[in-house]
Amino acid sequence: MATANQFDAIVVGSGMSGGWAAKELTEKGLKTLVLERGRNIRHVTDYTTALKDPWQLPHNNRPTNADRAAQPIQSTLYLYDQSTKQHFVNDLRHPYEQAQPFNWYRGYQVGGRSLMWARHVFRYSDLDFTANQREGVGIDWPIRYADIAPWYEHVERFIGASGENSGLPQLPEQILQPPFEMNALEKHIRSHMAEKFGGERKLICSATAVLSREHNGRGPCQGRNQCARGCPFSAYFSSNGVTLPAAAVTGNLTLQPDAVVHSLIYDEGKNRVTGVRVVDANTRDTTEYFAKVVFLCASTLNTTALLLNTRSARFPNGLGNDSDELGHNLMDHHNGGGATASYSGLSDRYYRGRRATSMYIPRFRNVGKREDKFMRGYGYEVYTSRGSWTRGIDSADFGADFKNEITRPGEWNLYMEGYGETLSYHDNRMWLSPEKVDSWDMPIIQLSMTYRDNEHAMAKQMMDDAVEMMQAAKLENVTGFNHPVTPGSVIHEMGTARMGRDPKTSVLNAYNQVHTVPNVFVTDGSCMVSSPPQNPSLTYMALTARAANHAVELLKRGEL
Amino acid sequence: MSNRRSFLRGASILMGHAAFGQVMTAFAAAPRKATYFSDSEMVTLRALVDVILPATDSPAASAADTHYFIDLAIPACASAAAQKVFREALKYLGRKNFANLAPAKQVELLKARAAADMELPYDQSFFKILKDYTLTGYFLSEVGATQALAYERVPGGFQGDLPLKADQKAWAI
Repeated sequence: MATANQFDAIVVGSGMSGGWAAKELTEKGLKTLVLERGRNIRHVTDYTTALKDPWQLPHNNRPTNADRAAQPIQSTLYLYDQSTKQHFVNDLRHPYEQAQPFNWYRGYQVGGRSLMWARHVFRYSDLDFTANQREGVGIDWPIRYADIAPWYEHVERFIGASGENSGLPQLPEQILQPPFEMNALEKHIRSHMAEKFGGERKLICSATAVLSREHNGRGPCQGRNQCARGCPFSAYFSSNGVTLPAAAVTGNLTLQPDAVVHSLIYDEGKNRVTGVRVVDANTRDTTEYFAKVVFLCASTLNTTALLLNTRSARFPNGLGNDSDELGHNLMDHHNGGGATASYSGLSDRYYRGRRATSMYIPRFRNVGKREDKFMRGYGYEVYTSRGSWTRGIDSADFGADFKNEITRPGEWNLYMEGYGETLSYHDNRMWLSPEKVDSWDMPIIQLSMTYRDNEHAMAKQMMDDAVEMMQAAKLENVTGFNHPVTPGSVIHEMGTARMGRDPKTSVLNAYNQVHTVPNVFVTDGSCMVSSPPQNPSLTYMALTARAANHAVELLKRGEL
Repeated sequence: MSNRRSFLRGASILMGHAAFGQVMTAFAAAPRKATYFSDSEMVTLRALVDVILPATDSPAASAADTHYFIDLAIPACASAAAQKVFREALKYLGRKNFANLAPAKQVELLKARAAADMELPYDQSFFKILKDYTLTGYFLSEVGATQALAYERVPGGFQGDLPLKADQKAWAI
């Protein structure tokens, strides 16, 4: 064993969770190796499109047929264009199989999807952590709000987030910089909603990991709203710009890009994982790295694939899989229900700059009184703007009057969609192909997930409530929609290696440790027990920081 | 617009450089060549984009080379069906001598085409494809974004609720 390959800790993945594991472990003095399957993307230096004007991008930023052929799944994403496509995988090089349609959006690079995420950061509350137990769905979370609250605070203080605290118990108070300003229509909606719904339903500025003020030498936001290209001003949170640099300054970080982790090395005698097997993404050479503790932060499906691909006499169905739950209980949010509207008033008001966040209506269903049609709830993202030149594309008009009209700000428009919780279903799941492997000898992931009656009933109500609220706000042309959603599309895939109290029904304990192999921690979305409707990244970061600090304590006590 | 101004200041320093000036002169002198459409198709296309977006208080679409944008973007970005429909329509309008018709005639002909094409699915609708690529080509060009519309590469922040000025153009993005 080469000593160069020996570390105190190995972190698999450098995204949202991996960056946090790296920061916490290195700051506590652990020599830490971060393995990233994709290429390196250096903060700012490698954001090659960040400051490009539309006309400096190929085809004024329009994707080509060749782009869509190489990235047939990725190119369906709203974010995908000439300025962002380099942050998404080539689907042909990274195949997976859909027993049911599933859109898997992936960023294989240093920083992972923390480069292109939507940056909304909300806390979960005990309404969320107790829901499974109260309603007899799946299994109970092994933690409560009090367990994670200090870690939410720890993460929020470091990442820097802006927004508005709702004052509602289902959306616990956060540490936030002042929110970005509402525009005239949003102010109008807010006051009408206050009139009609009291404090129960309200429009607030989303809590967002975008800085409205300078924070630790980063930001503030320059109003470009081109975050997914990478931010030259470090104004939004990414691993590249925030956690990995913090890990690097400790002198304890080794970052190894282009390193595909194939499986974990399990020592049955010690009942510990002693290291990982890595395939070089380019040369396909294999290397082994060793450490006392391993953090899996490879993103939900890839982390579980890694556990499933680590088989031994002790664990014939995947490492730590005594429960047979590994791969099961896959969840994503659903966002098919919402409304569009317009408003012809306030035509003398406009805005300047491009706000890099949305407005938000926090969950109000199944909070106080129990609904009879469905369990759980949803919050809305609300987007408003005045009409731009794009309104001219679909019209039959042309000529000088047409040009004069569409180069002036148009009517106000609104688009809102609910983000709803999906229940945990045992047979929504992923597994490994028994025969097909990818270019790095990893079995291909296959998956099957569908939304069920509870989600469909909720989506209908999401639409109806959106219409009711916008009518109450006196908007015009209020039109509800409730369109089918392909699972994966919200890019909140979670579950498949859930936490729990009982090793017979769960994979991880309350500190994200594999129940039966205590030096393996899993802290990305795969650990989730349910899918509370608020955006999950903040919770992944908080759980990762908590688990990393716990791992350090256990190491100190000689218990790993 | 301070950022745009400082961007232009940067450009003028470059322009002062003798070699750069020569390059720009040479570039301006060389006639631009289409890559996909024939010369006669380009003549028709140039006339079409200017009927859709003529010169007003901002330049016409052809002044922003919108027809050259379309020449590159149609083969790269449009579906095979749309490419075929688009080219056939250009040929047809070429045979009608569209580029040399009186302006009123051009408008009349395009209106008739619009009325028929608005009923068709996008890939079969010459008018819809033309509108899409003309507007994208022009309004996201430097001329379109900065003269016909308002554009700030780095706005410097966000101000949510401002009075609309009388001469305020819509933001390009």
